[in-house]
Order: sequence, then C-alpha cells, then structure tokens
Amino acid sequence: MMITREWQFALPEKKHKKKKYFGNLKAEVIDAGLCCHCAACASICPVNGITAGDAPIDFPNWIKECVDCGACVKVCPRWDYTPKNGLGEYIEVTAARSKRFVGQDGAMVTEFTASALEMGLIDRAIFVARDSNWRTRVVTIKTPEQLYDRKITGTKYSYADVLPALKDAVLKSEAVGFVGTPCMVTAVRKMQQAFKKFERVKLAIGLFCTENFYHHDLYNFLLEKANADLRNAVKTDIKKGKFIVELKDGSKVRIPVKDFEEIIPSGCKVCQDFAAVDSDVSIGSVGSANGFSTVMVRREVAKNILDYIREKEYAEFREPKLEVVQKLCDHKIKIHPWPPKKKEEKSEE
Amino acid sequence: MIRLSKVKTDPVENLKRHAEAIGEAVKQAIKPDRVTVEYPRERRKYPECFRGFIVFDKEKCISCFRCAQICPANAIQMEYFDKAYPGIDYAKCIFCHFCVDSCPTGALNTSKVHDVAFKSMDEMRLSAKQITKVPEIVREEKQTVEYYVDRNVWKLVRKKELDRLEVPPKPVKVKERRAACTEPESCLGCRLCASVCPQNAIKVEKCEISIGEEVTGTGCVLQIQTDLCTGCGLCVRQCPMQILTLEEVGE
Repeated sequence: MMITREWQFALPEKKHKKKKYFGNLKAEVIDAGLCCHCAACASICPVNGITAGDAPIDFPNWIKECVDCGACVKVCPRWDYTPKNGLGEYIEVTAARSKRFVGQDGAMVTEFTASALEMGLIDRAIFVARDSNWRTRVVTIKTPEQLYDRKITGTKYSYADVLPALKDAVLKSEAVGFVGTPCMVTAVRKMQQAFKKFERVKLAIGLFCTENFYHHDLYNFLLEKANADLRNAVKTDIKKGKFIVELKDGSKVRIPVKDFEEIIPSGCKVCQDFAAVDSDVSIGSVGSANGFSTVMVRREVAKNILDYIREKEYAEFREPKLEVVQKLCDHKIKIHPWPPKKKEEKSEE
Repeated sequence: MIRLSKVKTDPVENLKRHAEAIGEAVKQAIKPDRVTVEYPRERRKYPECFRGFIVFDKEKCISCFRCAQICPANAIQMEYFDKAYPGIDYAKCIFCHFCVDSCPTGALNTSKVHDVAFKSMDEMRLSAKQITKVPEIVREEKQTVEYYVDRNVWKLVRKKELDRLEVPPKPVKVKERRAACTEPESCLGCRLCASVCPQNAIKVEKCEISIGEEVTGTGCVLQIQTDLCTGCGLCVRQCPMQILTLEEVGE
C-alpha cells in the first residue's frame, strides 16, 4: 500500500465565482431544471448535507454548512452537460428470460446480479425494493436467495437513493454492483474518474429509461386520473405507449404515457440517453417478445456473466429486435431536445 | 461391611493437645502474626498497575477524543475549556482503564486510590479540573501496610510506611503513529481533516494541478506535518472516504 503525507486534489472551475460549489450546482443544474435526481452529489457530500429522497435535491443550509470542496460538481452528470444518445457501443445484443427468477419481464437484471454474486465478481449489489405504498427503498443484496422477493424485482418508476447506498457499500466492500437509470450510471462513471475508490464498482447494470417520476407525483397522478391506488397494485409497467397498473383484484388500469407529461420532472426532459450507453450491460423490455428482456452487453465483465448464464442454462434466449430499441432511442432524442426548445423560443421572443 | 468401634484415647495425649491450643491462643493475643489490614485506618499497598482513580494531566492532553471514543461504558464526556478535555462519570466507569491504555501522550494515568466514594449521583460526574489530582482522603492514619515474607529468616513481616497514592507516569503503551494517506487519488478535497486537527498539523495550500508539464487547473496541496502530528487519529475518523490511516513510526 502506498503511504503518502503530501497529496493534491483538483478544484473544478467555478461558474459563479462568489458562490460556494453547492451554490454553483444549485444555480447551474438544480434551478436550471437540469437535475436528473441521480443523488450522486448527495452520496459524495463529505458533510452529508445534500438531501435527496422524494423531493428535489437540496442542501437546506448550504450557505453555512457547505465546505466548498467541489466534490458534488465533480460527480454531477449534468454539470457541463452534453447529452449522450443512441444505442452506444455494444459487444452483443440478445433477448433472454430467466428460468430462476420472476421479474418485470425476463428478470434479466435479477439474473445478472445473481450470477455475478455466484461467480464472486461482486460481494454485494444495490437494489431498489418497494414498500406496500410503492415507495422506493434501497436494499443491499448479498446472496442470490434474497432476489426471490417480488418486492425487490420489478420496475418502480420512482426515484430512489441508490448512489448514497452505493457509496456506503464501496467503503465497506471491494467489489460492488448496482442497478440504475442511465443518469446514475453516467454519474458513477464520473465518480470513478474523479475518485479512485469508486473503481470498486465492478458491475453497473443500466436500465432502459425514458423518464422517472417522484413517488408522490406518480401516486397522486394515478389516483386522480384513473382512481388507481398504488397501494393496491401488484405490478406497474409501460407497454405500447400505455402505463399499466395491475391491481390486486386482477383488473388493469391503462393510461396513455402522453398524459404523464405534466408530472415528468424537468431533469428528465433534457435527457436523451435511453439505452444507458455508459453501463456494463443495459437491460430493458423494449425490443423483445413478451416475457423477455433485451440485454445489451457493452463490456467484458458483462460478457463473462452472460457466458456463465449460458453455460449454466439459467436463461432461455431469443433473437432481439434491435430496430425497436433504435426507434425508441431516436424517439427520446425527439421528445427531449437539447438544448431545450422552450428556452430558445423565449429568448427569441 | 463397616464396623464402628469406639476410638481409644490416651488422656495424657489429650491433655497435651489442649495445652498446645491454649498456648497458641495466648501467643496470638500477645504477638499476632495475621495478614489483615485495619481498613480504613490502614490500607493495603497496591501495585503500580492497579486500576484505580484516574488522574488527568492537562498539559499532556492533545484533545484527541480517543479516551471518549474507546470508553466501553460511555463514561467519558469531553468538556470544552480552551481545548476539549475529558471528564469522567464514576457512576458509569467500570475501571477497565482502556482510556489510560489508549492515551497516545500518557495524559491519563492510574492511581492507587480504589475507594472512590461519593455522597450523591451528581458528585460522581467529575470534570477535567476535578481529576487532575488524587482526591483528598480523610483518614485517621495515612499509613500503608504491606505484608511480606523475609526470606533470610523465613518470617512474615508487617511493614508500615507513609502513604503515596500517586503513580509515577509510565511509558505510553500506544505505539507512536502518524497520519498518512493511503489513496490520494480518492481525496474529495473536503479538508475536514485539516479543520478537525487539534494540532493544526495538516496544511492546505493552493496550487496548480499539472499533468506532466501541462497545467490543467487549480487545486490544493494537503500536507501532514509529521513533527506536529501526534497520531491522535481524529482525521482518520473524520475522513468521509476513509483514505487516511495511522502508520507506525520508529522502531
């Protein structure tokens, strides 16, 4: 182990010279409506002042308590933002369904994590579970058996504080995996660049993502529009432009995704990354038959896991329809233009 | 089969044994050779490693909070005067003396006082000022009694001497350590280590960051000054990325 008594750290450039770094972040990202609520800043903050959860990112007493270290700015995926888009680089694309687990579609996120744990590639993985209200709750998975819980697998469509839990896991363990939206994956890549310790994140599973919601917004919206109480729901899903809530009594409520426009957080409206281009492996239902998940393997780590799954026959495979994924990537660029259209119109006026 | 029969006793032998016993009793009454101490008039001599009342040396304390941190009974609270000094709650103290053992400068020391008696619960909470001296004990005689066997004549000796309850400071048990950084690439730049250091041993200076010869931006240099660092470990506990460590120095 290298021991040093003198070392350097870089301070990022401030855009507002007189403000502390969180003030810069607040002005440039949060108040500008770019914040994607990935909670990377909340996880890295050395004084634990930044709050996330089911509310916009904030630092209640930043003028006093911020130590002006610039870590939040270093990890923010929306600081100096240029959108990433398209399918990204990949080694292999396939559609698969897990034979062991039940999940949203093919339960391939669960399968990848379980296999990585079995192979010993990671010690622990950060997953998002839900309570009976469909509020998100971050859980640490240490054994594949934990993943049989239906409250852990499946999509929640709400923000979760994955990255603060990831940082705690990184401090405790040498090899960590996590599942997250494209913005979280991008944030983790930035963290890995800035701080060597985050190289302990060995597996980053990205999810196909169009947008994400605040839990209270989603809950109230569903209750008002369709009288669907999430407390009685067993599954939520987006299929063919419809948001589907499956209730306990077996009935299904369908709401067109277009109606959700009013509750889409502003940070999601500038994001063009559908396929999580920075991840080790991207997984989503788009582009494969019913009950299957599309798996885009991007890095060697994930390729090894896929080979392991094939070898053990944990999953069945089919041909994916990549053009459907491509279509949604293009669609996301179209609906979330960069730079944002509204602002341009205003400035022209 | 066990058969019980009356034991025959010699009356002369019997009389002789009785006389011996009475003789011993008379001898003890005149010149006793017991090993008891008349507490509280006298007290026993305790070894110097005895875990008794804790004595605090304000001059040596570096406010590292290590005693408060390690105390398993949570009996030590740090009190702020000009620096933070430990106070001991004897209602909680279990006399394990982990605080004494862990003190990096030997500011805490044991004493031979074991009868730490108080009149109320409030009195048991002693501040740093109150533990700088061994408590005054009101006794009839300030004598310490020690029994030992004189090996030349093989006789038990009762030795009385004037009381000395203080224990001279012992060499510090904790090995000398200095703070060091194990993974400078992971430094957040929060400078909490510098702000928490009681000795101001961590120096922060603005500098230019360069890769090779090209200057890429501004930053800071953190430097741990080994001559000032006492190895208290406050920065190690504070570091949010857990990249600081205490490294042993010397032999």
